[in-house]
Amino acid sequence: MAPRVVELVVNGRQRTFLVRPGTSLLMALRDTLGLTAAKRGCDVGSCGSCTVLLDGKPVMSCLVPVETVDGSAVRTLEGMTLEGGSLSDVQAAFLEGFATQCGFCTPGMIVAAEGLLAENPNPTRDDVVRAISGNVCRCTGYTSIIDAVLDAAARRRESAAAAPVAS
Amino acid sequence: MIAGGTTVMGVVNTQALDFTELVSLRRAGLGGIQVTDGTAVVGATTTIAELGADEKLAFLRPVVETFASPTLRNLATVGGNLFVPQPGGDLAVCLLALGATAEIAGPAGTRTADVSDVFAAGVREGEIVTAVHFAIPAPGTWFYTKAMRLRLASAAVVTVAAVVTVQDGVVSSARIALGGAGERPVRARSAEDALLAKPLDRATVDVAAAAALKDAAPLDDAFSSAWYRARVLPVHFRRALLGE
Repeated sequence: MAPRVVELVVNGRQRTFLVRPGTSLLMALRDTLGLTAAKRGCDVGSCGSCTVLLDGKPVMSCLVPVETVDGSAVRTLEGMTLEGGSLSDVQAAFLEGFATQCGFCTPGMIVAAEGLLAENPNPTRDDVVRAISGNVCRCTGYTSIIDAVLDAAARRRESAAAAPVAS
Repeated sequence: MIAGGTTVMGVVNTQALDFTELVSLRRAGLGGIQVTDGTAVVGATTTIAELGADEKLAFLRPVVETFASPTLRNLATVGGNLFVPQPGGDLAVCLLALGATAEIAGPAGTRTADVSDVFAAGVREGEIVTAVHFAIPAPGTWFYTKAMRLRLASAAVVTVAAVVTVQDGVVSSARIALGGAGERPVRARSAEDALLAKPLDRATVDVAAAAALKDAAPLDDAFSSAWYRARVLPVHFRRALLGE
């Protein structure tokens, strides 16, 4: 079958590209758009290393045929770093909390965390555990990751409280 | 046919395919949840996450919270779950216990079928499930347990879903469905018969739990052996009905 044109808003930018039918959102992001933070770990939705935000919701991007989400907004880890390349509060918390070892699960974990914090700025430990329950980590034993997400949430609440109110 | 893609895309990504076309229902306008007079009509492409977020269907929260993972719940659909083989298909087990019906549309028009018929025979060529209908159980009549190897994000060892009504101290009606007890959700009729007209107490439930095993053909797979499933089914049956 012929390739099709797909348009997505990726990390705030309109992107238009061709895909072969059956291409997953994951592979379109990685191979076509060069956004390789999302990883192909299992290709069946079991590991979570492909996690991205699709219209604000964390999803397994390996399971989404990209043609079916034409017109949607996608956010990857590349879009969650700050201007000029400095680390976001979540990234800093992961780094400083040693919540990453091989790094393979890390983009998925951070995206899942960002998805959680967008909905719930004051998560409990159990909220964090549930939010990352689709993300497998073979290195850290998860505790440092959970701690880092809670730390990031605290940092974010603090800076929100310290920020001047927009008039 | 692909809705949420949580079963089909895994196959597309990793296996040789015997089909060359995918039809996506994602934007077919089949979503939405309506509740009227205690009856829910849930569109087939409603996601499991959307189900869990609806206040009127709060009785399904324990089902949603143990269903796969959040990133899968944001994709997986109610209609799709009717076609997922056990030990997947947690919601399908619930819909069987709820006596749900499926609205089906096809070239010959629309029809309604019990979900048990859809489990047994699928749908005909050219048909799709467009919605499921079920009565919301009265408070205190809904029971659900999913036994898993892990606390979260794990397929069922066994699932027990039940709507049991007690009147004048004895069970007046019972619909019980089992997961992990066959390729598709299984109706535990022997267990239901063992409960009727008896008090819902330990003695009765133990007899019913043993009877439930007669209705079950426990699966043997990577999650759990048939031996283990058979061993624990009566235990989880009892825990589900007695709230242990």
